[in-house]
Amino acid sequence: MKTKVVPTIKLYDYLIVPIQIELDDATVERLQMQLLNEISEKKIRGIIIDVSMVDIIDSYISFVLSETAAMAKAMGCYTVICKIQPQVALTLAQMGIKLKDAFTANSLERAIEILNQLD
Amino acid sequence: MKDIVISRLNELVNELAKEEEKKKAWEDFLVDFAEVCEKADFKEKLKTSIINLLNHVNEKELSDGIGLLHEKIDNFPAVDVYKALIEVLGEKNKENLAKIAELHDVLAELSTPIIQLWEDVLLVPIIGTLDSQRAQNMVEKLLESIADTRAKVVIIDVTGVPMIDTIVGEFLIEMFSAVKLLGSDVILTGIKPEIAHTLVKLGIDFKMVIIKRDLESALKYTIKQFEEGKEIKLDKNRGKNRGDAGEN
Amino acid sequence: MMNYQNFKDIDINVHDYDIVLKIKDENDISVARQMAKSFAQKHNFSLADVTKIATAVSELSRNIYRYAKEGYIYIKKKETEPDKDISIEIIAYDRGPGIENVERAVAGGYTTSERSLGLGLAGVRRLMDSFYIMSEVGKGTIVVAEKRRRKF
Repeated sequence: MKTKVVPTIKLYDYLIVPIQIELDDATVERLQMQLLNEISEKKIRGIIIDVSMVDIIDSYISFVLSETAAMAKAMGCYTVICKIQPQVALTLAQMGIKLKDAFTANSLERAIEILNQLD
Repeated sequence: MKDIVISRLNELVNELAKEEEKKKAWEDFLVDFAEVCEKADFKEKLKTSIINLLNHVNEKELSDGIGLLHEKIDNFPAVDVYKALIEVLGEKNKENLAKIAELHDVLAELSTPIIQLWEDVLLVPIIGTLDSQRAQNMVEKLLESIADTRAKVVIIDVTGVPMIDTIVGEFLIEMFSAVKLLGSDVILTGIKPEIAHTLVKLGIDFKMVIIKRDLESALKYTIKQFEEGKEIKLDKNRGKNRGDAGEN
Repeated sequence: MMNYQNFKDIDINVHDYDIVLKIKDENDISVARQMAKSFAQKHNFSLADVTKIATAVSELSRNIYRYAKEGYIYIKKKETEPDKDISIEIIAYDRGPGIENVERAVAGGYTTSERSLGLGLAGVRRLMDSFYIMSEVGKGTIVVAEKRRRKF
């Protein structure tokens, strides 16, 4: 497999994705491919994308994240986007963006709880 | 100058004021003035004396007094004294404005407390009229508290809000979806007809909020959810419709 | 706030702006938003407003890159009177193909590019305090948006 954009952690059959880099358009697109590949290769049933380090999420980044969640869903995998920064949440809300295809959680523990409940 | 002021002290004080308290204040001022009037940075030094004097006489009396001294005493540095007075008043004004701003903050804080009811539940009773400035500050504060406390449920009680305009209504709706994005649930209670009207006209999404008629039923509902251990009803169909993201 | 009646009236003096940025490749989008972010931070905007300004710049620069291939982002601080209202003005200007139906683009949910939400311009309008757009097919697009610093 090509080099990973974001190093991920596999926990049971969940994949934890802590994003700690600036998300530009090209990066977020490569991340989408990486995650879809990992879901299929590692038989992942749930992804947790931790965005606590991401300062700016604009319409395109949120679109790709949401799209990734929908694609993951098509592969039988749920997505939780966790720890969105409060000011980022406000900005997304004001733009009318809802991340419809993913669940959201305010902690890693809660994200795992959500995935457990979905089984 | 110093000697003239001191020698005519009584006469001047009697002309400057009638009441004993004010006479005493003028006397102190004139003694201070005599003390510093021949020094280089006398304007700066005089400021403290002016501040003291202003505790006893009002601005008009002080200004009239300076005028009188200018008439009575030859070469009285009225211009410098006025300058010092203006600077003192300017500083006072700045202090007052800062105090007003501070009180404004305190008022905003007091009128939108964020109460942690128990571990996973925040209560936000909104009281009084919301303007857009206050609504924005409140939204920001609430979102930060949610991120800090990792609350699962936020109860927003608008019983104390008589009405809202469309701008504030939009802020509230944005607030609900922002809270959702953080991963918490919103329970909205105490909606009056006027607010219901505005929120529905603005297209509130009832999937975003759980509505309860009053605080009591909101609390009962929350407790029941926690007891049953299913505080959030998960919608397994989520993500079914591809490309729904960002739909308004 | 600037208001242009006609495309040929546009006259932006670069010396009036604190930041002038040419957008011509994808990387410039993140450069623009990072610069906008630190500029708003420097002028003591609230964290939420810093994020909104940076996000708006991100949307505007992406529009330039996507639709016009190249263009400019101008950012400046505006002060009405000393100690009074401070605001940040953002201009996005390109000589690209222009937008056919400006009203529809600003209303949101509309896009001519596949991989996008179509919330870009509508989003910018909602994030900022004032928003002005002029676009002419074959000539280009200019967006002027402003965000005031809120008092606390």
